[in-house]
Amino acid sequence: MTAMTSVRNYVLLAIVPILTIGLRLDARQERDAGGFKAPTVALERGRTVYVLNHCHFCHGDDLTRATMGAANLTQSPLVGADEDGNIIGPLVKAGLPNLQTAMPSYVELTSQEIVDLARYIHYLRQQARFRELSRVTNTAAGDRSAGETYFNGAGKCRSCHSVTVDLADIGRKYDTATLRARMLRPGPNVPADGVSPTDGQVAHLKLLENYTAADVQNLAAYLGVR
Amino acid sequence: MNRRDLLKALAGAPLLFARQRPAAVTTVNGVVFGVETFSFHDLPPSGDPQLIPTIIKSLQTLGIAECEIMSGHIEPFASVMTGWWVQSRRSPDFPRLREEARQWRLTVPMTYYRDIRRRFEDAGLRIYLYNVNFNETFTDAERDRTFGAARELGAEGFSSSTALSEARRLVPFVKTHNMFVAMHNHNNLADPDQFATPASFETALAMSPLFHVTLDIGHFTAGNNDAVAFIRQHHDRIINIHVRDRKRNNGPNRPFGQGDTPIADVLRLIRNNRYSIRCYLEYEYGSFRPSLDEVQTCFDYCKRVLAS
Repeated sequence: MTAMTSVRNYVLLAIVPILTIGLRLDARQERDAGGFKAPTVALERGRTVYVLNHCHFCHGDDLTRATMGAANLTQSPLVGADEDGNIIGPLVKAGLPNLQTAMPSYVELTSQEIVDLARYIHYLRQQARFRELSRVTNTAAGDRSAGETYFNGAGKCRSCHSVTVDLADIGRKYDTATLRARMLRPGPNVPADGVSPTDGQVAHLKLLENYTAADVQNLAAYLGVR
Repeated sequence: MNRRDLLKALAGAPLLFARQRPAAVTTVNGVVFGVETFSFHDLPPSGDPQLIPTIIKSLQTLGIAECEIMSGHIEPFASVMTGWWVQSRRSPDFPRLREEARQWRLTVPMTYYRDIRRRFEDAGLRIYLYNVNFNETFTDAERDRTFGAARELGAEGFSSSTALSEARRLVPFVKTHNMFVAMHNHNNLADPDQFATPASFETALAMSPLFHVTLDIGHFTAGNNDAVAFIRQHHDRIINIHVRDRKRNNGPNRPFGQGDTPIADVLRLIRNNRYSIRCYLEYEYGSFRPSLDEVQTCFDYCKRVLAS
């Protein structure tokens, strides 16, 4: 056995347990006919409302596989504008009876169930949009000027951040992929019981739900070049 | 008989023997049961080689011999690609995908369908209805070919979520192929072209003696119609019902017995009057359990109802 082969074997021996641990972690995320179990008690309540009212049949158990003419809730502007069910709730209660295959009316849902449902839908949307926008890799195509306009305008980034203070040199501090990931979701990847997100993290999640791919490219271009 | 006639007769012989097999039927107190394959929500995707075997195994597990099979379970593409849902036609990819589906339909050899039929029959099962959602994106050649496909599958006819405007286009095809189309309803009361009310069915029934009804009693109830009264009046034109439970006023699907749909009254009406209406289970309420378990629960409910 050469020295190189020996080193390679040690590396492989080290990698195998790491991979195994990774697989075990995946296996902990239990799945049933309504999709993956939610990471917190409150979100699991929302998933229960979502699944037992068969929302997942049309909108998909992770929102990305809409069928039977249903709206793609990862892109719906109504869901993007919703706050704790203030838009989703009335729509779900009224249903959409005039669609080709009508969306049922769920008048029996309680106010608490509506809030739980809406928060679960937002959670699924944030997960889906993070996956979608993380794939936007061509940041070189971003328009720095448009990014600056978004930063100071529609994105309201300037209300918390400054490119000359906390974000100064951020483009040199992080590589492009990391910068983009932190911009999309600066908080934890998955919510946890007993951990409340900060106001800033909540604001970023709202942005995450509503960014366009161009917004992300432009912002990354603007921040990345400073 | 000349040589050509003899060859023709021999070529048809295998199909002749296949048709002589006793048709598989599942009855509960005289009422025939089947399954709409939409009920199996956790199937492999369209075109997956395990799709048909999984449907066959599911029917065998349930002990139900016949089914109404969705086109998306026969064809290697989801039925959303064939234009029924108007919303799906707005996708920029739709024209290309629709054309691909059309070309597949027009060129697939009929042995493709015959092979699926043989797999069901070898398992003691039967495709009684082919569920194809005819719509205005079909060409006439495609309509014609789809009737041929249904025949090769061994189906008696079609169940179809369609529209009155499309039904008019189908009139010559049902006549040419001498094969029925049973119109399936939803509960869109705003669009008069949709099947949702007694009047919409009656308009279609007047177009052709080969037009019939697949009455979805859940959707019919959600549209605030009276399923019992409709069945009493039109039982001789109803091929099958979809058994599901929904609440009135466009209410949601619910586990059997928990909605407003008069499932028990309908099943007993069919049993007591010996109507030749087949009862096809359609599972669509929410659950964390596998769909096969829920379809079994639906079937058990119907058995209890018919036992009393």
